[in-house]
Amino acid sequence: MKRRQGWLFFIIFLLTLSVYLLVNYPLQLGLDLQGGSQLTLQIIKEEGKVTKDELEAVNSVIDKRVNNLGVSESNLQTLGGDQLILELPGEQNPLVASRVLGKTALLEFRTQKKGTSTNLKALQLQRLSIKELIEQYSSAEKSQNDNNLKVIQDDLKNIEQELNYSSNSNDLYGKLIEIKKYVDKKISNLFIKTDLSGNDLINAGRRQEQTNSNWEVLLTFSNSGGEKFAEITKSIAGSNQLLAIILDGESISEASVGNQFVNTGITGGSATISGNFSAENARELEVQLKGGSLPLPIEIVETNTIGALLGSKNILKSLYAAISGLIFVGIFMFFNYRILGFVSVLSLVLYGFFNLALYSLIPVTLTLPGISGLILSIGMAVDANILIFERIREELNDGNTLTRSIDSGFQRANSSIVDGHITTLLSCFVLFLLGTNFVKGFAATLGIGVLISLFTSLNCSKTILRFLTTYQSLRQKNFYLPKNNFSN
Amino acid sequence: MKYNLELIKNKSRIIGFSTVLILLSLLGILYSTFNTSYKKPINLGMDFVGGNETRIERFCEEECSNFSPDTVLENLREISKNKNVLSNIKLQFQNNDKLISIRTPYLSIEESNNLITNLDNIIGPLNYASKDSRLIGPKLGKRLLTNCVSSLLVSLLAISLYITIRFDKKYAFFALLALFHDLLIVFGIFSWLGIILSVEVNSLFAVALLTIAGYSVNDTVVIFDRIRENFKSKNEGYNETIQLSVNESFRRTTFTSITTLIPLLSIMLFGTYSLFWFSLALSLGIIVGSYSSILLAPSLLLKD
Repeated sequence: MKRRQGWLFFIIFLLTLSVYLLVNYPLQLGLDLQGGSQLTLQIIKEEGKVTKDELEAVNSVIDKRVNNLGVSESNLQTLGGDQLILELPGEQNPLVASRVLGKTALLEFRTQKKGTSTNLKALQLQRLSIKELIEQYSSAEKSQNDNNLKVIQDDLKNIEQELNYSSNSNDLYGKLIEIKKYVDKKISNLFIKTDLSGNDLINAGRRQEQTNSNWEVLLTFSNSGGEKFAEITKSIAGSNQLLAIILDGESISEASVGNQFVNTGITGGSATISGNFSAENARELEVQLKGGSLPLPIEIVETNTIGALLGSKNILKSLYAAISGLIFVGIFMFFNYRILGFVSVLSLVLYGFFNLALYSLIPVTLTLPGISGLILSIGMAVDANILIFERIREELNDGNTLTRSIDSGFQRANSSIVDGHITTLLSCFVLFLLGTNFVKGFAATLGIGVLISLFTSLNCSKTILRFLTTYQSLRQKNFYLPKNNFSN
Repeated sequence: MKYNLELIKNKSRIIGFSTVLILLSLLGILYSTFNTSYKKPINLGMDFVGGNETRIERFCEEECSNFSPDTVLENLREISKNKNVLSNIKLQFQNNDKLISIRTPYLSIEESNNLITNLDNIIGPLNYASKDSRLIGPKLGKRLLTNCVSSLLVSLLAISLYITIRFDKKYAFFALLALFHDLLIVFGIFSWLGIILSVEVNSLFAVALLTIAGYSVNDTVVIFDRIRENFKSKNEGYNETIQLSVNESFRRTTFTSITTLIPLLSIMLFGTYSLFWFSLALSLGIIVGSYSSILLAPSLLLKD
């Protein structure tokens, strides 16, 4: 008897501890409950698997970019070896993040091949006219002017003929973009790579140009980078060769180096890119350059956005579902098992508290699938109680005393309970290992639930029952069984 | 109260009933594979094929004005840039025209935002705080599908191994037969739901199947445990012992199913829409699972 009382105090202690934990360390809510966006980034590698180092490197670049964007409370984690998950809580638009994160941001400095001046000039003109066509297209779309669209189509055909290239896209907009890419590529092919790249930067900034409202991006080189830059500019100073700054294969600026730099090159370790940037574009480029280039390209493969209002609605709905589930299970148990049922309700309440406390301790982020795992595990936790109570009922029907029946009921149900829990745990384990983020939440709460229910249904129920049966007045058999069970 | 299920008398009926259920499921799966637009055994949802789904509420005073989805789509087509996307778009009104749900093939975040802005122009104002949007690339979809199928296979293998170690061959075989029977029937029901109501299955459906697997085996194990125990302690005939064991564990099995169904029903009634079909799949699995544990698996053990 002493030992049982020890258990009783232990359970009360655990309950107090759980309440304390829950009050002081509130549960972490997933995005589907608090609102926000979640982006899944897939690392693209043509051959072989993404190595751990590559994953680390991508992770750190993305992390820097996210920080430079100034997103509050964002959370970045890796998933399954070649994916990253970025969470942006609250009403933050994932659009900006997606534009900044998706680009490789590989910055190169190239010098023009000798004798390509005429070629380059023609291409630059073509690039300009395509850019104009794209702008015209947007305004023609808005004004629903089909005639204008026709004109754009004809102009595009002329350019295609000049380039001797025909585009494959189905719609006009796609065609324009495709041709622009083609021209960009031809332009960058007129330049030769140098050993100066984005790796030589130590900082990037932006400022508004003095003469007009455009923005320019300011690059600051490291010491060695500054020397390389001086060397390169010296080699082409005064000639008709241009220096191109190329981002992800697209030349964003081509400039000549004046005669006065023939002896030293451009020193001072800094350069500006001024290519008609809007404030927004300049900021995006700045963030990308500050974070460095990605060692492997990434693609955004999934985006989930949940409004804050919907999140709080989801919490309420889940709460209703959980509470009504508990109440109805409680009524069912009490109706069928009387005092035993009451005991199972008590241990269910304990079960709920222990579960939630563990979530805040581990911590488990609570999501919708997670909550459904928790609600489902209520049913499974009661299952163990039912197995035990059925055994007790049989023992009582066989004419055994109450204490004896309770003891052997718990003992004999043990093996079935453990068996059943193991099969469920196996499923949870597999789900947790192989599942996606979404599925992991379910597997985690169900798995934790199954483990805790082993403790509450075996130990807590027994302790509470023993405690209740110390009162003489609660020892009548018909408190434990509805009458009709006795008739037999 | 004693239960008296006449297992021995009804053996052929039980097996016949299960055979009919299995044939119906197979019929659904075959019909779905050959006679539907999606040509798959089951109607795969966005998780597996990629796409864009957005649900958003409108701000309305008292009642929301009535629009037909076709007019809205017509308007959308007129003001939208990317005409390709709009040729394959589904738009529905729910909750008295308050909630708009829109499905398209995969879009970039930018395109999806544009779509919602256009929608706002047509039937706005929209309540952005109620927005729920998912974009899944086709690549990820394929990956999720293989992921789900492999999780299912691995965990079925693990459960099979556990059962074969735990019981002797005959018991293990029938327990697993009952398990596959349950999974096949739930799968078949969702094939039919896909054909008739165009219900789609997502990764949560795979989770439901896995949970059903664990649960159904659990139920069967409890009954087989009881049969083994009774073979040792009771001196009755082989078939009679099995029937007795089933009747002894009948209350336990049904009660457990009921206490698990209650929370699932409350999720279906009060929970969020994304969990509705998940809970339904689980509930069906638990009902079929209890049936196969109580009636089918022990009947298969009976000797003629």
